Amino acid sequence: MLKNYPAEGFYDEMVEAAGKVRPHYEKFRRILERHAVDDLNEKHETAQLSFLRQGITFTVYHEEGGTERTMPFDLVPIIINDKEWETVEAGIKQRVTALNYFLEDIYNENRIVEDGIVPKELIQQNQYYYEEQAAGLSLPHKNHIFLAGIDLIRDADGVYRVLEDNLRNPSGLSYVFQNRFVMRKVFPEFFFEHAIRTLEHQMSHSHQALLAHVPENSPNKDNPQAVLLTPGMYNSAYYDHVFLAQQMGIELVEGQDLLVKDDVVYMKTVRGLKRIDIIYRRIDDDFIDPEEFRSDSSLGVKGLMRALRWGNVAVVNSVGNGVADDKAMYAYVPEMIRYYLGEEPLIPNVDTYFLSDPEVRENVLGRLEELVIKNVGASGGYDMLIGPQSTERDREIFKEKIRENPQQYIAQPTIQLSRAPAFQKGRFYPCHVDLRVFAVGSDHIHVLPGGLSRVALKEGSLVVNSSQGGGGKDTWVLKKGEDVHA
Amino acid sequence: MLSRVASSLFWMARNVERAESNARVLEARLINALETQEYGKVALSDWEAVVEICASKLDYEEKGGSFTAEAAASYIALDPENLNSIRNCLENARFNARAVRDHIPEDFWYVLNEHYLSFRSEPFTDWNTRRIQTFLQDTQRLSYTLQGIIESSMLREEAYQFIKIGKWLERGEKTARVLNVMCEKTKEAEQEANANYYYWLSALQFLNGYSAYLKRFPPTMDPSHVIPFLISYEQFPRSIEYCMEHVRETVMKLENGQVSHYSEDLFKSLDYVSSEFMRIKFQKLSKEETGLFLDRFQNDLNRISSVFSSTYYFV
Repeated sequence: MLKNYPAEGFYDEMVEAAGKVRPHYEKFRRILERHAVDDLNEKHETAQLSFLRQGITFTVYHEEGGTERTMPFDLVPIIINDKEWETVEAGIKQRVTALNYFLEDIYNENRIVEDGIVPKELIQQNQYYYEEQAAGLSLPHKNHIFLAGIDLIRDADGVYRVLEDNLRNPSGLSYVFQNRFVMRKVFPEFFFEHAIRTLEHQMSHSHQALLAHVPENSPNKDNPQAVLLTPGMYNSAYYDHVFLAQQMGIELVEGQDLLVKDDVVYMKTVRGLKRIDIIYRRIDDDFIDPEEFRSDSSLGVKGLMRALRWGNVAVVNSVGNGVADDKAMYAYVPEMIRYYLGEEPLIPNVDTYFLSDPEVRENVLGRLEELVIKNVGASGGYDMLIGPQSTERDREIFKEKIRENPQQYIAQPTIQLSRAPAFQKGRFYPCHVDLRVFAVGSDHIHVLPGGLSRVALKEGSLVVNSSQGGGGKDTWVLKKGEDVHA
Repeated sequence: MLSRVASSLFWMARNVERAESNARVLEARLINALETQEYGKVALSDWEAVVEICASKLDYEEKGGSFTAEAAASYIALDPENLNSIRNCLENARFNARAVRDHIPEDFWYVLNEHYLSFRSEPFTDWNTRRIQTFLQDTQRLSYTLQGIIESSMLREEAYQFIKIGKWLERGEKTARVLNVMCEKTKEAEQEANANYYYWLSALQFLNGYSAYLKRFPPTMDPSHVIPFLISYEQFPRSIEYCMEHVRETVMKLENGQVSHYSEDLFKSLDYVSSEFMRIKFQKLSKEETGLFLDRFQNDLNRISSVFSSTYYFV
């Protein structure tokens, strides 16, 4: 099956060398080889249909409006052995802990700036830094990050590196569960023979963690009322919101369902107004309260920030988190870990060059074809130049952009993103992958075993974002000792 | 429960019910059209009646629609411009269902979504009448399946009750509408032989009551049997009285059998309709009186619908 599969040139998650799979993939390969290609095609088809039927879709916007699309599913899972996972788990905990300290610090004492670790301008000029709105808030457990999605990649040596932190509204958690659900349905035989860390109970744990954010003045401290605030079904991640609300057993509300009276937040029910204690919001800061942010927002709730400031409601993830997860601040996270925790980072960053320094800039502009250029404020794979895959014209455009606005861009070496086999249209071929790991924070941080493996299904492509044709894979974390017997 | 959610559940149910009943009316009419000759002019002209039952005749005429089988059928079944076309009803139902996915059974969503996906990919332009007929049957079956899922898997709590109230109100209204249009038509066509028979037979078929009716009454289509059967025959699940009785009963459950200050208006409007029924039930109404009663009743229904919406703070 993998006979002519090219294993050279990149780190491959499954194939070590031509014709040889890594030990923890051995059992998977054996079972896979019992299937004929037609059989796999059929299973592949069944899996895709299952997503569509369930309406597990995201919305892609274009000139004629929006289209609901499913994220393509690939049936070769990413398998992580328990040793590697231990490091990932500890590294994610470490990183999210430091990021949370950082947020608490810059919105209160600002020590890290005074001590000269992070430049003041980087914070002050950040478009997501909301000093006026978010400074001095007293948060339950001083926790700013209820749900984090940390994107990891593996380099040519198989070393995990952090590519990006998502501390605002990371999406994709529902896919972690649905990929597993579909995989179990289509390939039950794999699960009989592997001991995999289960995803059961993860959502009830998240629910507990959410309820731990009871605000100071809640009258229902033992039984707080939590809701998930969504921008509505036109949002591209609406299914994610539906899934999370459903699994946590909380009401899914829109801005129009809430109102603030005397600095208390209520939802409008058929029996009148009902007090809300905790809001897990999936609306961006800019839209959350027209009184203090964009006044043209119809998605948010007028007066919400006042209620928050009075300790009458808790809002997670916190307002103002964006300052910590942009692509420029990213470069300082290892320093934050050293500064707040006195530890060395367990998962390294990808090297990052700031283009505001004229010397660095000229050096970078001279070798654009080797580098990746990113807009520090953009996400979703937009406004990005991948040097080795760019044309002369693309590079000219970016040169122009960088010269005009150097502090808006960073450069990174092109990482030889790891690959894994994907099965599409009847054959196996190597595709680049990354892994979004989810961490749930309250009075402690919990890391979900596995995560969302995203795959760039277009051959050779490095962009895994679903809006740009990326797909998903199930991700297995093996239980301790499992790979030894493989 | 959020008012927005309750409102979506209510409208989801109404749209499914409306799609089903419009599909049935249109299907029955298309089948009858095959036997047109026997009934002469009457049957030819009554595409007008069907448009009036399933949509707004005024809108249709303004858009320049002609009263031929092809034009009317495609307007009622598929036209995106027609607010109440079956296609629009199904899209509305799915839209509402999507907004309340966490309050309805998963199977309900799967079935409705699957149906939507399969008919969304159809190139409606080349649909002939035969293809439309298949679509009409599918729509009715879809509605049966959805009702089955609700009955067999939903908790008998608020969400269920809002769905049921939507369904019964919609159903009662449709029966009143069919009756109203048929009263008009029989009045206009007094001179035509067979007109009475034809129209009352159609009314029963439109409301899925033909076989049920035959079990109790002779097959003569006597209006003095058909009209009371459709208005107040308590055992017939599409009679107006049956529907309204169920609305009332469900509102009672929703309110735990108590009338509170905020639900007072709602109960008053429901009581008013019940007393109207009691009043007409035991007296023989002339055709004119029936027509008047139905006019009043349709107004009462609109009022109930709006009081209901404000009682539960629908937006």
